[in-house]
Amino acid sequence: MTQAPAAPQENPLLVGLRKRRQAEPCAITIFGASGDLTQRKLIPALYSLAFRNLLPENFGIVGVARTEMSDEAWRGKMQEAVKEHGRDEFRQDVWDDLAEGMRYVATDFADDGGEEHVVRCLNALDEDRGTAGNRVYYLAVPPAAIETIIVAMGKRRSAEGWTRLIVEKPFGHDLESAQHLNTIIREYFDEAEIFRIDHYLGKETVQNMLVLRFANGIFEPIWNRQFIDHVQITVAEQLGIEGRADFYEKAGAVRDIVQNHMLQLAALTAMEPPIDFTADSVRNEKVKVLKAIHTPGPKHVVRGQYGPGYIEGEEVPGYREEERVAPDSLTETYVAAKLFVDNWRWADTPFYVRTGKRLPRRETTIAIQFKRAPHPPFELDTEEGLRPNVLLIHVQPDEGVSLAVGAKVPGQGMTIRTVHMDFLYGGAFRTGLPEAYERLILDCLLGDATLFTRADEVEEQWAIVDAMVAPWKRDRPSFPNYAAGTWGPAAADELLHRDGRSWRRH
Amino acid sequence: MVENVTLTEVERQLGELRAASSAPGELPRLRTSVLTHMAWVPERWVEAATETLAGLAERHPSRTILLFPRPNDDRDALDAEVDLRCFLRGGEEREVCSEVISIRLCGKRASAPASVVQPLLVPDLPVFLRWRGQCPWGAAELEELVEVTDRMIVDSGEWPDAEWAYSRLAEILDRVVVSDIAWARTEPWRRAVAALWPNVAGAEEIRVAGPQAEAALLARWLGTRLDRDVELRHEAAGEIELVEIDGRQVKPERRDRTTSSDLLSDQLEIFERDRPYEEVVRSFSSAAT
Repeated sequence: MTQAPAAPQENPLLVGLRKRRQAEPCAITIFGASGDLTQRKLIPALYSLAFRNLLPENFGIVGVARTEMSDEAWRGKMQEAVKEHGRDEFRQDVWDDLAEGMRYVATDFADDGGEEHVVRCLNALDEDRGTAGNRVYYLAVPPAAIETIIVAMGKRRSAEGWTRLIVEKPFGHDLESAQHLNTIIREYFDEAEIFRIDHYLGKETVQNMLVLRFANGIFEPIWNRQFIDHVQITVAEQLGIEGRADFYEKAGAVRDIVQNHMLQLAALTAMEPPIDFTADSVRNEKVKVLKAIHTPGPKHVVRGQYGPGYIEGEEVPGYREEERVAPDSLTETYVAAKLFVDNWRWADTPFYVRTGKRLPRRETTIAIQFKRAPHPPFELDTEEGLRPNVLLIHVQPDEGVSLAVGAKVPGQGMTIRTVHMDFLYGGAFRTGLPEAYERLILDCLLGDATLFTRADEVEEQWAIVDAMVAPWKRDRPSFPNYAAGTWGPAAADELLHRDGRSWRRH
Repeated sequence: MVENVTLTEVERQLGELRAASSAPGELPRLRTSVLTHMAWVPERWVEAATETLAGLAERHPSRTILLFPRPNDDRDALDAEVDLRCFLRGGEEREVCSEVISIRLCGKRASAPASVVQPLLVPDLPVFLRWRGQCPWGAAELEELVEVTDRMIVDSGEWPDAEWAYSRLAEILDRVVVSDIAWARTEPWRRAVAALWPNVAGAEEIRVAGPQAEAALLARWLGTRLDRDVELRHEAAGEIELVEIDGRQVKPERRDRTTSSDLLSDQLEIFERDRPYEEVVRSFSSAAT
């Protein structure tokens, strides 16, 4: 009788040592290496990972762009970017280690064979830095360039190691284009190799939404239509378009924010508990709830565009006066909508969502407004200061959670006021919150796709957005319809007033 | 420090400080706590403890209760000082405040500290006790505080005879979870040794140039994990400088220098029992019998 080979003994010395999230040797190639995203977010994020010893020892970065530049010049530019945009102190030794594995390739993928330069550079990195043929391609390029790069690099996949693809938003511009892009990508890459990034999912407070809901026994029993009156999700920006007219004129608020960030926040708020925290379990639940979002009719969607106004006392131009924006532009800079989630948990509970540019303050919040107490035994006038209970999740800034509760005003009488109980994220935990890109890049290096968007998820998002914008092709709005520095057009207020509700004020 | 105070007065002072901490019309400061942090600080450790505490409030918003035992004082009394340490986190509008209560336990009060701290513990949050210096094994003050503590943090590097003390420490492991900062300092070395598996499976000797406590812990760890006798060759040094297994040098990852605040701060983030450490500590006890 032949004996089965003995199973390799587990390492007893690792018992009790905390598991490290350590990626395998690899090289990350950033397409769009001379762009704003690379300088502001990607390279500073990679530096922060290096600062915390979270990158593998055998690691390389290849920057790819059309601009002619030497390795040295690119490294110098990126060093300045880290100094300017990094969240950690600049340490020369950390930077030198990282920069040693940085290469730059000037090439144009429109030219046949442009990818050859990239492949040669990556092969050389495998030799020099031991990156073992493992590749991450980060597409930080305009949507028009994505397909060309995917096809070119897909045809030249490394024979050794693994390959992963990070695709920045916007992923397509409607359902049809997103489906087309998914088809093209899947000709060369498996779904498990595709990491569609929505940086909101990398934010601690967004992830905390899952912890708040599913790690605390007190919330889930009341997280439904029986106890919740409605939900308000606000993604408000104080900034204008900051010189991004070329992109924004085509995208507008609905494609820039609603299709991705807003619907992600809505899905995380409304989804059912996943059976575990693996990528597919979480994404299955998100897809289920996105499918359940009722297509909003034209009466339930409001769009707006800002005119001139004041931000922090300073006069700012209207959208149509911004550089490279058409003087008769019909691009929306504001969207509000009333969504319904057609399932057992949420039937008839509205989710009011709004996003806009040039609003009075920057804030992203999810407000869960509970129904009023059924029969408060107090005289009516004592309750004047009492508002409904609201669980407010601050995604940014001032990350945290607060709960508005009624409390008696001290004194002889019985007067009730609403007070806030606050949990401030930064006040309770030691470490500064990591930048979303740090978390997401590291997750990709580790092959963990939980916080990335799956093909069917992105297609469901587009289906909702397509339904929202379809009626817009038929009418011509009177823009601008709100002044910069205000909370959007009057029609957005009416959207809630019709239901006897109002937007939260601040 | 105000002499001869009652705990009611201490609590009133805390309330007054909180109320006075924000001017009318300003956003109120937040009191956030993730734990109660007690520290037992005999006279010779006061300076070191104060240094360690600097900056800790910002990392772990908590109610800190500093206990300064003065058993030889003529008076049987409590002296106390209450302080609110507030800080503004980057990008946030409101200050977050932590409370620091310093209490001098004079005379007989030093042997009944639990009755002093219990009214001051933040309800429903874990209680961490940092015991500076050698623990008075079997003494009432230690026994009492262990009973109200979820996790005790020691630094066996502060103990004059660590190997003997481990056998006494083993006696309280069933009652309280223990963190040892000396053990934490060995972590990068343990990780580096673990990376040598399976080539160290038959290790017979470990050579350590470093403090006695850390050398002893490393040797016992290797022995208990591999379930074999591993001989220790120890050379004294201020910190671990060298580890060799059967003549093969172990190289830990590059690691930034950590301050005593960093080390304590790390321990305040750990909640679970460290079974390999407990096994190591108990091995000293079984060796002694």
